[in-house]
Amino acid sequence: MNLLLLGLSHRTAPLELRERYALDDPQPALAKLVHGPEIEEAVVLSTCNRVEVLVATRELEAARLRLRSFFERELAPAEAHRARELDGALYELHDAAAVRHTFRVACSVDSQVVGEPQILGQVKDAYRAAFASGACGPILSRLYQRAFATAKRVRNETKIAERPISVARVAVQLAEQIFESLAEKHALLVGAGEMIELALEALVQRGLAAVRVANRTPARAAALATRFGASAHGLDELPQLLAASDVVLTCIGGHEPILTRATFAAALGERRAQPIFAIDIGVPRNIEPAANRLEGVYLYDLDDLQGVARANAEERRREIERAEAIVLEEQQRFDGWLGALAAVPTIRALVERAETIRASELERGLSGISLGDREREAVEAATRAIVGKLLHAPLAKLRAEQDREAGLAQLEAARALFGLDAASDEVDDT
Amino acid sequence: MAHALHTVTAACYLLAALAAAAGLALRVRAAQRAAVFLLAGGALIHAVAFWQLHTLLPTPSLTELPLASSLMAWLAVVSFLLLHARVRGLALAALVAPAAFLGALAGALWLGIRTGGGEELHPILAHVHVVLASAGFALLGVAGAAGALYLAHHRAIKAKRAAAQSALPSLEALDRANGAALALGFTLLSLGVLSGVLWVLESQGQLWPDGVTAKHANATLLAWLLYAGVAVLRFGKRESARRAALQSAYGFALLLVAVVGLRVLP
Repeated sequence: MNLLLLGLSHRTAPLELRERYALDDPQPALAKLVHGPEIEEAVVLSTCNRVEVLVATRELEAARLRLRSFFERELAPAEAHRARELDGALYELHDAAAVRHTFRVACSVDSQVVGEPQILGQVKDAYRAAFASGACGPILSRLYQRAFATAKRVRNETKIAERPISVARVAVQLAEQIFESLAEKHALLVGAGEMIELALEALVQRGLAAVRVANRTPARAAALATRFGASAHGLDELPQLLAASDVVLTCIGGHEPILTRATFAAALGERRAQPIFAIDIGVPRNIEPAANRLEGVYLYDLDDLQGVARANAEERRREIERAEAIVLEEQQRFDGWLGALAAVPTIRALVERAETIRASELERGLSGISLGDREREAVEAATRAIVGKLLHAPLAKLRAEQDREAGLAQLEAARALFGLDAASDEVDDT
Repeated sequence: MAHALHTVTAACYLLAALAAAAGLALRVRAAQRAAVFLLAGGALIHAVAFWQLHTLLPTPSLTELPLASSLMAWLAVVSFLLLHARVRGLALAALVAPAAFLGALAGALWLGIRTGGGEELHPILAHVHVVLASAGFALLGVAGAAGALYLAHHRAIKAKRAAAQSALPSLEALDRANGAALALGFTLLSLGVLSGVLWVLESQGQLWPDGVTAKHANATLLAWLLYAGVAVLRFGKRESARRAALQSAYGFALLLVAVVGLRVLP
């Protein structure tokens, strides 16, 4: 059995190309793929960063042509130059390389943002869809189960996903270094743009006691506040809001800081020295940098947050090496299983052939001799033992071979040496 | 037996200190958790070791400095474990465990070399004084450790050197640990000072001791006054967490000199 993977990803194709080949529902495509004789099992993975089809086949060349045609004609039938645009974008991986790639994808080592957790869920969805549509058989089922186990190992044994790398997540984690829990804290968000929305999402996920949104245009603040269960305010209320807030996040237009050191000093006085974590992601900055010199104010601007995010991304990249080692180990284990699976028909044929020869030669040899039951049983046992001992070493070697290439070469050698592919009537002539 | 148990306790605390330091440096939470388990196991053996002191003849007195140090170590570990149940403060183990190791080691060494006779019999008030003051000392030590960690963490966050994920507890958690240990530690130290005064009154017929213990008593009173000021600022005036941490750290350094330094140094 061969494994073949064809696909395009963020590494080989721009977004506009990936968009054209993306699949909303892979089930009809899966049904078509396994309907023909070329492909026995198939899984289709379609995310915003990749479209990949992994198949198990006995007819490698036919399956390759079928998959190529699937991408060129079925996934984007309206495109006039689809074959040409796919030439540089489509990659093809076989057997061990396909297994390794699938494991790397599940572990998020191949992701645009290394360590992001969504990809594992998407791979699981792809597997479930294939399984539900009957396109996933024993080989790919085993492969995906191993991929999920590998992803779990990578998550547990490395720090690949430990550190946040988005500005919003970094801000939330820094807040958790100041406050034990955000559950009883009050947050103030100044502005109503996309960055504020992202940060608000991350903060709300951690659960806050109250969120207030202040903006120049109260209507926009109200729209955002309504979506997240917050209250909306105008900028004129900032001094009072600041005194009541533990976390302050600003991202609003304007050339002058809207929150000064003096405003923070006054707020701290009212808060009886309770600290304020201020995150200023506005450009130009919305908070006077001197506010960080106040004892109870911890001020981080966009550069500071990006610095932490960069350091975290670097830390994640360092973890890739450890993740790759786990992937390689698991891939070799799967390859061993696949190799052993390929050896089963050969082993069975070899044992059957040896038994047929033994039985027929024994019958021929003993035809003119009269033996009692006990003597006959003893001769039977002795011949079985001879055959068993002769076959023990080659069978053990065939079962144990972990390397796929070497294993296949040995299987072919065994079939040739023992004449397993010859006509069965040869048995009578030996 | 008491000597052997003290030695095993010291070994547990040493392993806990190494695990906690490794956990903090390498940011491995499993190592930090292991440190807490080792401290808990050590504290259990330590308790049995103290119980076993009664089997020795003559029974050693807790007023002996090495045994008092060992008692303080045990109380510090128990205080840490109780605090740990309420406040996420795994990193505190990195400071508590080495101190506990030194205390238990002092006890083990002293029990190993004691000749078995000649100990002065002290009245019950002396023991009450030692136990209460040791408990107060241990808790104020924990407060000082929390304060020192607070200052280091505060400095890193202010200087933008903080990673998004730190092995240290949050500033708020460290401040809470500091406040709780300070409140209980100061109360116990006050009771320790009071029982000490009663002991001196009973044995010398005066409120304040003369001779060699006068230095210790004066320094302890100074430390108590300092802590009284710290407690008033912290709980009365609601001072900032950083200043409270600073005072706890310095206060404990002074207390260390008052209780241990003046008895050890010439």
